[in-house]
Amino acid sequence: MDPLVYILDFIVLVGIFSIFSLSLNIEFGFAGLANFGKVAFVLIGAYTYTLLSNINVPFFLCLIAGAIASAIIGFFVSLPTLKLREDYLAIVVLAFGEILKIIVKSEGWIAGGVWGTPVYPAISIAGSSTRLDMAINIALVYVCLFLSFLLLQLLTNSPYGRVIRAIREDEVAAEALGKNRAKYRAQVFALGSAIAGLGGGLFAQYLQFIDPYMFAPMLTFTIWIMVLLGGPANNWGALLGAGMVQLFDRGANIAKDYVTLPIDPGNLQYIIYGVLIILVLLYRPQGLLKESQVKTKAGESIFNGRDFAKNKGD
Amino acid sequence: MEEILLKIKGISKHFGGVYAVNGISLDITSGKIWGLVGPNGSGKSTLFNTVLGIHQADEGNIYFKDRCITNLVPHQIFDLGLVYAFQVPRLFQTLNVLDNMLVAGREHKGDKLLFSLFFRKSWQKKEIELAEKAMEILRLLKLDHLALSPAGELSGGQSKLLELGKGLMASPTLLLLDEPAAGVNPNLGRSMFERIEDLCQTGLSFFIIEHRLELLFDFAHWVYVMDKGKIVLEGKPPEVAEDPSFYHVYLGDE
Ligand SMILES: Nc1ncnc2c1ncn2[C@@H]1O[C@H](COP(=O)(O)OP(=O)(O)O)[C@@H](O)[C@H]1O
Ligand SMILES: [Mg+2]
Repeated sequence: MDPLVYILDFIVLVGIFSIFSLSLNIEFGFAGLANFGKVAFVLIGAYTYTLLSNINVPFFLCLIAGAIASAIIGFFVSLPTLKLREDYLAIVVLAFGEILKIIVKSEGWIAGGVWGTPVYPAISIAGSSTRLDMAINIALVYVCLFLSFLLLQLLTNSPYGRVIRAIREDEVAAEALGKNRAKYRAQVFALGSAIAGLGGGLFAQYLQFIDPYMFAPMLTFTIWIMVLLGGPANNWGALLGAGMVQLFDRGANIAKDYVTLPIDPGNLQYIIYGVLIILVLLYRPQGLLKESQVKTKAGESIFNGRDFAKNKGD
Repeated sequence: MEEILLKIKGISKHFGGVYAVNGISLDITSGKIWGLVGPNGSGKSTLFNTVLGIHQADEGNIYFKDRCITNLVPHQIFDLGLVYAFQVPRLFQTLNVLDNMLVAGREHKGDKLLFSLFFRKSWQKKEIELAEKAMEILRLLKLDHLALSPAGELSGGQSKLLELGKGLMASPTLLLLDEPAAGVNPNLGRSMFERIEDLCQTGLSFFIIEHRLELLFDFAHWVYVMDKGKIVLEGKPPEVAEDPSFYHVYLGDE
């Protein structure tokens, strides 16, 4: 295999998984919503993309539609649980993910059911090489990643970002200060699902094939490890986590060809994940990067203003 | 001009078989400091929690400015101007002290999803105004030097002060304080009450649970005494202090 293609493939997947981990990070890291059904919203994005692109809808509309479909479904799935304790949400979405997978598997008319279906790449240029296709994918994925990241940075460094963190810390206290927690949670869940749906569309068009088995709970847990490792409530941490887990994944895949293990080498990456999560939770429960502070210019204007005045006086 | 702000009519709240609050009725009017005292476990905090919609009342009705609020949820009650500072401080631990204060800010466009994202100019001025107001309150409470420290690092007394600060930050019409001076340095406790008295002159009203009677009785204009879920005595502080039944209730079991 062309080593450059191998590296480009790595770069594309890091980008797509960064989008997934950012989407879990806004839910779990910032708002405390334990979404154990993330894969369901990736699936919705991927299938929406596929169904629409197969009837020749332009790719950017397919991506947007995937995000919107995911957001709407996310909103309604989370709705009944948002006033309950957080663990109800976790259970409901976990079950929802599995149910969705079963539906897609058994309904042959939805993108080939259990057999899966090919997906057209978003942008294809006649006679192009694999390398060029990869480069196009990198451009597409990283534009989407950049936009998602920017959106989330703006959101988390705003009064809104402060409110969702407050609800995560103490929902009763936040409610007693006028914050409608159910509303905030529904919004965050819809937003997180939209971003996951966008990533799902990119995932489908990059792999050029989808089937229900790609959307197993393992995908959800991989995204969780990325967020926990990188540092919840830090958008840079979500990127770092995605990069590192992908790196471990590749490492394990290469290593298993060279080392002889007393276990099934196909399971090596799961073992590494397990060890990783235990180490992180034991030694660095806040993740590699610490929670970012809310930066809205309010603090800065006050403190810099004062320091500035003092310096001038000196 | 005096108006009835809070009207509690026959409120009861029980946990299992225990009546924590048992048929309480009282009125709170504007521009004054009202006190609520009683031995531990007499139901004072439960009464406040019920008024604030954190607990649902089993019987009776609560009115705020003539509006029935019995079935409203806490954030709706907050919007009407009724604010609560908890007995055990409920701070947002990982947020810094200034951010804790800012969460309590009222009518902030930046709290809304679309405004926070796409109309940043529309709330930035308000954000700075609120931050200045927050710093003013923090200076008053002698917490300004900790403004950028995480709330989780505060001492017990400082946490109590920040809990009060959040309440003041919310520009309430009526502020319910649950033992604000508990765990706070005695001198600061007194200056806190002096400040509360000043705020009262500006039209803010207070309903205060306090165990430090020497403080409360110096500042409150009227005191209710609770025992076993009922109001057993009420009056001006000196009258209450001289009532023999007061000592019986308050010190009886101890
Ligand atoms: N959430 C609750 N669940 C069960 N019992 C409670 C709860 N809150 C308070 N109680 C009980 O109600 C009674 C009154 O408590 P509380 O209102 O905290 O008294 P006070 O504030 O006057 O010390 C006590 O017997 C207490 O154990
Ligand atoms: Mg109490």
